[in-house]
This record gives sequence, C-alpha cells and structure tokens, in this order.
Amino acid sequence: MLADFIQAVQASLFWEYRTILLIGLATNFYVFGLAALLAVALGLVACLARLSPFRSLRWGGTFYAELFRNTPEYVLLVWVHFVPPLLLTLLLHTRINFSPFFSAVAALGLASSGYFTETFRAGIQSIPRGQVEAARSTGLSGTLMFRWVIMPQAVRRILPEAMNQFISLFKSTTLVSLIAVPDLMYQVSMITQQQMRPMPLYSGAAIIYFVVILALSSLVRHMSEGWRAVGRT
Amino acid sequence: MDVLRRTIWNHRDEFLQGIVVTGQVCLIAFLVAMAIGLVVCLIRMYCRPLRWLAILYIEFCRSTPIYVQLMWVNYVWPELFGWPTAFFDAGWAALALQSSGYLAETFRAGIEGVSRGQREAALSTGLSPTLTMRWIILPQALLTMTPSLMNQFLVVVKSSSLVSVIAVPDLMYQALRLTSIWFEPIEILSFTAFLYILIVFALSAGMKWYSDRLRTRYA
Repeated sequence: MLADFIQAVQASLFWEYRTILLIGLATNFYVFGLAALLAVALGLVACLARLSPFRSLRWGGTFYAELFRNTPEYVLLVWVHFVPPLLLTLLLHTRINFSPFFSAVAALGLASSGYFTETFRAGIQSIPRGQVEAARSTGLSGTLMFRWVIMPQAVRRILPEAMNQFISLFKSTTLVSLIAVPDLMYQVSMITQQQMRPMPLYSGAAIIYFVVILALSSLVRHMSEGWRAVGRT
Repeated sequence: MDVLRRTIWNHRDEFLQGIVVTGQVCLIAFLVAMAIGLVVCLIRMYCRPLRWLAILYIEFCRSTPIYVQLMWVNYVWPELFGWPTAFFDAGWAALALQSSGYLAETFRAGIEGVSRGQREAALSTGLSPTLTMRWIILPQALLTMTPSLMNQFLVVVKSSSLVSVIAVPDLMYQALRLTSIWFEPIEILSFTAFLYILIVFALSAGMKWYSDRLRTRYA
C-alpha cells in the first residue's frame, strides 16, 4: 500500500506535462477573475435593490438572491450552457451558441452573486442606525453619508466574508471542466484518458488544489484579522 | 404543452427515482460525515499526539474542491484501498469526505462554546469524562450547532448534483440522460433546476422552522 501511495503522488508524470497543467491552472484563475467581477457587480446591484425603499425592487432583489443561492452550481452551469442559447436562437431566428468559457463565467458569476448580495446586505445593515442618524443630523446628503460614513465601516465588515466567498468561487471553477473549458481538471482527465493511469494525475491535481487553496485561505485569514482589528479601534 | 408531457410527465418515474437516489446519497453522506467529523474533532481536541494529523485532514477536506475530491475518490481510492468499487459508494464517500472536514470544525466550535464551568461541574459531581461529553456537553453543543449542521446538509444536497458525473443515477443524471434522448434541454433542464431549487428551498425553510422551535423550547 505504501508503494501504491508513492506511485499515487509520483511527480515524474506530472513533470512531463507541467506546461499543460500550469496553463490549466491559469485558466482556473482566469475564469475565477472574470466570474468574480461579474459576481461582485451583480451582487452590488441586487444588494442595492434589496435595500431600496421600493417594495417591488426589494422583492426582486430577494428573489434573485434566493434563486441563485438555492441552485446547485453544476445544475446552473449546465442550464446556462444549454438553455439560454436555445431560447435566444428561437427568439432571434439566428443560431446562437455560448462558448464553454462564456457559459462558465456567466454561470459561476450568477451563482456566486447570490451569496455576494447577502454578504453586502449584511455588511451594510450591520452599521448601527445611530451612525446614519448622526450623519443626517450633521447635514450630510444621502450620497455623502453613504460614501463617507457607511461605506468605510461596511467594507471592513464585508471584506472577510467576501474573501471567503471568493475562495469558494475559486473552488467552484473546477466544475467548468465539465463543459469542456480547458482548466486543470480538464487537462488531467484528458491526460488520464491517454495514459490510463488515473492515480498519479488525480492525486497530483488534488494536491495542487489543496496547496493553492490552503495558501489563499491562510492569506485571507491573516488579512481578515487585520481588517477586523482596524474596525474595532 | 405537448413537449412537457412527452419529456417530463411521461418520465415522472425517472425523475422520482432520481430524487430518491439524490436523497439516499445525501443522507448516507451526511450521516457518515457526522460520524467522521465527530471523531476527527475529538482527536483534534483531546488527543495531543494525533492532533496534527486531524488538522491536516480537516484542512485537506476543506481546501479541496468537491469535484476534485469526487474524481480522486472515484479513480484513486479503488487502486489505493480497493474501495469503493461502485459509483454509488464513491459518490457518497466523496461528499462525506468534503463535509466531514467542515463538520469537524463545526463540532469543535460547538463544544468550545459550552462554558468551562459546565464541564468542571460535571466532572466534580463524579461523572467520567465520557459521560460528561455524552450527557452534559454534547446536548448543549448540539443546540448551538443545529443551524450550521443544517446549512452543511444543504451544501451536501447542492453538491450531490455532481455525482451524476460518475454515473450515479441521481436527479441530475436522469435529467442529462433525458436531455440526450429527447434533445429538449429548455424544458427538461429548466424543470430540473426548478426541482432542485424547490428541494433546497423547502429543506432550508423546514430546517429553519425546526431549529427555531428547538431554540424556543430548550434555550
């Protein structure tokens, strides 16, 4: 069993394919970056809708957040990849296809925007009402109050949670291999099919993700402590 | 309407079977994850020499994406340990692996949340450490942990759609199979997404109601 284990983490096969695998990992980061931008943008819009004074907008925002928080990412990914292109094709009478990359970014962005909506809302609502009243009574306008009183405090409370969301978004980017985006997992499964040796490659992939994500989350943990400490003083 | 009847209503048995398999995978995975999580958490807290191993295990489970774990369990474990030989087993094992890391941390937070005085009082009345854990600490810890346990179950349900990738006939697998038979993705996939949303939403509403009731009754 020990020999098996050593073979499982054997590096030579990995070394042979290092360029392809690294490009795969870079694809993961690329998808992650674009999806994160989309998620934050949509999350902000939905969060503002949830906090707006109009009931219909609030309902819309809540519905949006609940919808995407309750859908499994894989289901959403497959749905986005197949359904909207067909609907658009039917509507516009021209053949429309989403590239796997586009679908991946859109689906992951949508899935995680639901969580960002809630994170942003919780952060903004955690600012005590007294702050708002004090800002109002000193004569600050709504925009100025938001910019100088609420935002600086809210951002510090939001950041630690948002960073955790980013990490789970990065973990979800491994799913995009299922719709043939050439990320690390996709390369690993392709090479496995050629070599018929799943053991070293899948173990290696697991270890790579483990190291990358553990490093990222320790960094986040370290930074979060700083943000929380600033918030307290 | 015709399409709906052909692709969904006529295949209601398959959808139902899919839901049943999803439920089985999730329940087995969650129960196993609770058991492993509790053991790992106790090792981490009370067994000094093995503590680093428990921490490594927890960090590995938490820092590896579920899809990677699924592939790893499915392809590597049979060669490494001779198990799991069935896709179904690999499916729940991977989900349990992922959750056990999170649950171990949940248990730790819950146990550490019970005030020290409780433990000292129990020990001083002559209860053994095991009995103290069973009758004094765990019941109180469970109450505070209920919301996070339920959340983790929802995470398991949502991740369980991935087991279709290794040909476990769950809801998503049935949906993809029917899509490839009829090629009507709009109806079938939208209906499946709707089912998942309904299931997860109903579960989370029910669990919230239950944990609120528990809290008003016991705390």
